Amino acid sequence: MKQLLLKIEPIIWLLFGAGLSIGTMLLTGFVLVVGLAIPLGWVPADALDYERAHALASNLIGRLFLLGLIALPLWKGAHHLRSISLDFGGESRDGAVGSLLYLLAAAGSVAGIVAVIRI
Amino acid sequence: MSEGKKTIKLEITRFDPDVDEVPKTEEYEVPTEPGWKVLDAVNYVKDHLDPSLSHRWSCRMAVCGSCGMMVNGEPKLTCKTSLDEYGDSIKVEPLANFPIVRDLVVEIDGFMDKFKSVKPWIIRAKERAEDMENLNERGTYSQSPDELSAFKQFSMCINCLLCYSACPVVANEPEFIGPAAIALGHRYNTDSRDEGAAERNEVFRGEGTVFSCSFANECSEVCPKNVDPASAVNQAKLGAVVDWAKGLILPRGGA
Repeated sequence: MKQLLLKIEPIIWLLFGAGLSIGTMLLTGFVLVVGLAIPLGWVPADALDYERAHALASNLIGRLFLLGLIALPLWKGAHHLRSISLDFGGESRDGAVGSLLYLLAAAGSVAGIVAVIRI
Repeated sequence: MSEGKKTIKLEITRFDPDVDEVPKTEEYEVPTEPGWKVLDAVNYVKDHLDPSLSHRWSCRMAVCGSCGMMVNGEPKLTCKTSLDEYGDSIKVEPLANFPIVRDLVVEIDGFMDKFKSVKPWIIRAKERAEDMENLNERGTYSQSPDELSAFKQFSMCINCLLCYSACPVVANEPEFIGPAAIALGHRYNTDSRDEGAAERNEVFRGEGTVFSCSFANECSEVCPKNVDPASAVNQAKLGAVVDWAKGLILPRGGA
């Protein structure tokens, strides 16, 4: 199991790195717009009303953006949790813990794909 | 210079493998002079209080890398660490994450193997097959200042091993080849004269190398030469991944 994880490590690390960037930059911007700019009236309240938001989300770029926003931080989280498990002396259980976490991230990603297709 | 003479309490780990089961701590009263480093205080103990104390040191100018010790729990180059940074009581222990040989001396044999594993020499594609007898005619490999600055920082490592003591991954996973070894490999991967990046990246994708790093950044925090090994390790991760992706697209040797 550990050998398999080592084999796919480059892919995992790319997803992790992408998730880290998404989590720190895009998600921050997303929260800034949805959580602050709109409620505080920095942008017009109807800037993201249902029709406009739906149109934004349902074109191809919008769907891909949302998929990235959903799936990539899951891989970041899975990888971080695996590191934490290792930091707490989980060397012997690393194969099982890593596999489980990455399977969860993969399941979440599949759910994300289904969700953006159904928008 | 403004600090006057003062006497400090120095706690030093002592361990004699022939007598002791486990390391113990001895206390010494050390009269210090202004401007002293931690190493000066340890040397005072050896010279005046207890000649049986064993510790490594040599150059006293942060070049040889042999006087690394834990000072109040932190890995420090003792010749570079001023006593002024501390109060009247200092605890000096052997570097963490290494087996103790005696007193402040640690066993570093495994570390040398880790260094060798990253092929820390310039690899030229041509030299393997031909050209060896024409070495003199071919002359030296010239390099621009920009090409030099790409790796110079990573070549400043003095092998003091402080980064291994600070690294939480080394603590959990002793077989991890560690910050300095990866920084050294990365130093050659970023050297314009080198053509062996593919070989080293293959090493880097193996067990216990770059992907074991969880980027705690402790290595760069303690590095006395500003090598920034954490940055090297994470650049090496990217290099290993890009190289791996290339291998998927192009057949071996194509890139």
